[in-house]
Amino acid sequence: MKKFFTVIKREYRQRVRTRFFIVATVIGPVVLGLFGILPVYIANLNSGAATRLAVIDQSGKLYDAFEHALTTEETENLDSTGEKTQSNPQMQRDAQFGAQRFQSELVLLNGRTLEQGKRDLNERVRANELDGYVIIPPDVLGDGKPEFYGRNTGDIFTRESVADRLSRAVREQRLAEKKIDQRVLREASRPVTLVSTKISDRGEEKVSGSGFTLVFSFGLLIYMAVLLYGQTVLGAVIEEKETRIAEILFSSMRSFPLMLGKLVGVSLVALTQLSIWAMAFALLAGFGAGMAAAKGVPTNIPHVPPIVFVCFLLFFLLGYFIYATIYALIGSMVTTVQEGGQLAIPVVLTLLAGFYFVFPIIRSPNSPLAFWASMVPFLAPITMMVRITTETPPAWQIILSLTIGFATVVALVWLAARIYRVGMLMYGKRATIPEVWRWIRQT
Amino acid sequence: MTDETKPTLVLDHVTKRYGDFTAVDDLSLQVRPGRVFGLIGPNGAGKTTTIRMIVNITIPDSGRIELFGQKMETRLQDRIGYLPEERGLYRKMKVGEQLKFFAELKDVRGKEADERINRWLEKMDLSDWKTRRTKDLSKGMQQKVQFITAVIHNPDLLILDEPFSGLDPVNVELMKETILENKREGKTIILSTHQMEIAEKLCDDVCMINRAKKVLDGRLREIRHSFSRNAVALQIAGGDGLLDDKSLVVNVRQNGDDTEVLLAPGVDAQILLKRLVEAGAVVNKFELAEPTLHDIFIEKVREAS
Repeated sequence: MKKFFTVIKREYRQRVRTRFFIVATVIGPVVLGLFGILPVYIANLNSGAATRLAVIDQSGKLYDAFEHALTTEETENLDSTGEKTQSNPQMQRDAQFGAQRFQSELVLLNGRTLEQGKRDLNERVRANELDGYVIIPPDVLGDGKPEFYGRNTGDIFTRESVADRLSRAVREQRLAEKKIDQRVLREASRPVTLVSTKISDRGEEKVSGSGFTLVFSFGLLIYMAVLLYGQTVLGAVIEEKETRIAEILFSSMRSFPLMLGKLVGVSLVALTQLSIWAMAFALLAGFGAGMAAAKGVPTNIPHVPPIVFVCFLLFFLLGYFIYATIYALIGSMVTTVQEGGQLAIPVVLTLLAGFYFVFPIIRSPNSPLAFWASMVPFLAPITMMVRITTETPPAWQIILSLTIGFATVVALVWLAARIYRVGMLMYGKRATIPEVWRWIRQT
Repeated sequence: MTDETKPTLVLDHVTKRYGDFTAVDDLSLQVRPGRVFGLIGPNGAGKTTTIRMIVNITIPDSGRIELFGQKMETRLQDRIGYLPEERGLYRKMKVGEQLKFFAELKDVRGKEADERINRWLEKMDLSDWKTRRTKDLSKGMQQKVQFITAVIHNPDLLILDEPFSGLDPVNVELMKETILENKREGKTIILSTHQMEIAEKLCDDVCMINRAKKVLDGRLREIRHSFSRNAVALQIAGGDGLLDDKSLVVNVRQNGDDTEVLLAPGVDAQILLKRLVEAGAVVNKFELAEPTLHDIFIEKVREAS
């Protein structure tokens, strides 16, 4: 047992003290911060100079409405009182993010033919006095098709914006001609807001709607942790093979505590780093929320019950260890990290399989499918979390799932230790499956 | 040190196969306490596999291994010090930390470990390198560090697989001296090497292996005696005709400055000396030549094939 801790200590100290670890630990939150702050910052920038458009209005009555539509933002989200609704802040931000400013001028033909007018405008576009022009046909309220001419018709954003805003102008014009008030229409087409309430053993609870997002970010977190540290586990297992220290290790201790010690040592490094990052993130989020609150923007920090949080930690550990152990197992079979990395990819992709079960389980979290999927160790971290956040299963099921999962981890470590021990005595070659099978039975 | 002393290590009809290849075939041997036991043989003879079984890295397919009178098990590993043939140290670890790690793996901890590490570094003339990374050390220095990892826990049985490879003459002497020192302290030492001259100087007992099989074992002195072929190494001037007398000498061979003569059966070395003096030869060197391990080994291998 003491030797087990000796191995953990060495793995941990050797890694935590490397410059790489320290740099990555510091850089992580900085990058995170940049990603959190930059988009907001960019969104607040003016998106360049306004696009200059000329308009030939053959209908003679649409220009005012079009100009209005071009120079103002979409107003659909305003309710009758003219106040912004809270229903979809995301969309509002997107609208703002993609905002494009326009400058328009009305061009009258003044006796010129349309062809002559176009020729003149083409000249102005070429001379870079204009970015483009729009021709509105006389029967635009009927079937007439407006035309857009521009220097850069490949710029789909401009094209889409022009089409959108022209549609808006046309719609408003049509409504006006039918004598329908804009406000009446908006009031009539306001969507309902569905308030959902979850009935659980603890009574009724408001659903924040964050369960789904929570599970997906949870799965993503495991995936990231595995991708980040799997290689390290692989390297740690192969290290002694390359330097051939293994012989001394094996002449001093059993291979199982050695393998487990390596796995735990590297994992503690991973958890140290992740904890630092998590704390930095929490600080940053708290800071951001504070900033937003100071600006009067209401923020919604999702409420997570403590039991879910505990499950979150446990299943995160399970998910991480299951896949990290696979890296250890592969490390025990191969001789170089490169080889191992390639072998590991298809196996780790099975983690994604857990996501396939998310939708059927969300629909019926207590079905037999959901039950069995949450008992399979390789799927459990994601599937069980889905169940916990939707319709929390009985405690015995959660405990059983965790037990099966961690037992699998131990079994895999045992297997890896066995293969490693026999494999190291045959240096310099990759094991074939039949060989591995023979090794497992050997010793 | 009589034969009645309980042996430190017993191998009893031990066989190890890797697939179709038999690495060790029906090997039996006994290593007695307080002696230097030479496991000798050419490369690929099965020495390393034998040692791996002794230190419990691999388990024999058949046969029995007994250490300190007990069946081999993990706990006994702490009483063995092992210097493997293929050396390995963590390249990026500092020498001191590295030694501490291996000491802890052998259950030597804390202050005790620190003291021993300092003592050994001092002895191996490596004190200045304690805080340096292992990869900065020369090959010979690394070899000495590796040796310290084998002895740091003061083992009762020391197994050294080719301990002299990569060492310069000064360090070879240092290593030899350290090995003999361990012997004086009552440790049992198994020395595996293909360098017969070194084995000859250090070993009390030897076991020769060739192609997975034992060809010979016993006390070195007795072995050499039993192989002595009634030969004499000479440095003489004059009296040359005498060596052509087939009733006296059956074979003459020049070996460096020495003339090695194999006496005819029944002829005593004293008779040759007397006859040489009578013939007026100047005798500068007259030495009873015992065969070297090398000679014995070659002879045994030839016999077998």
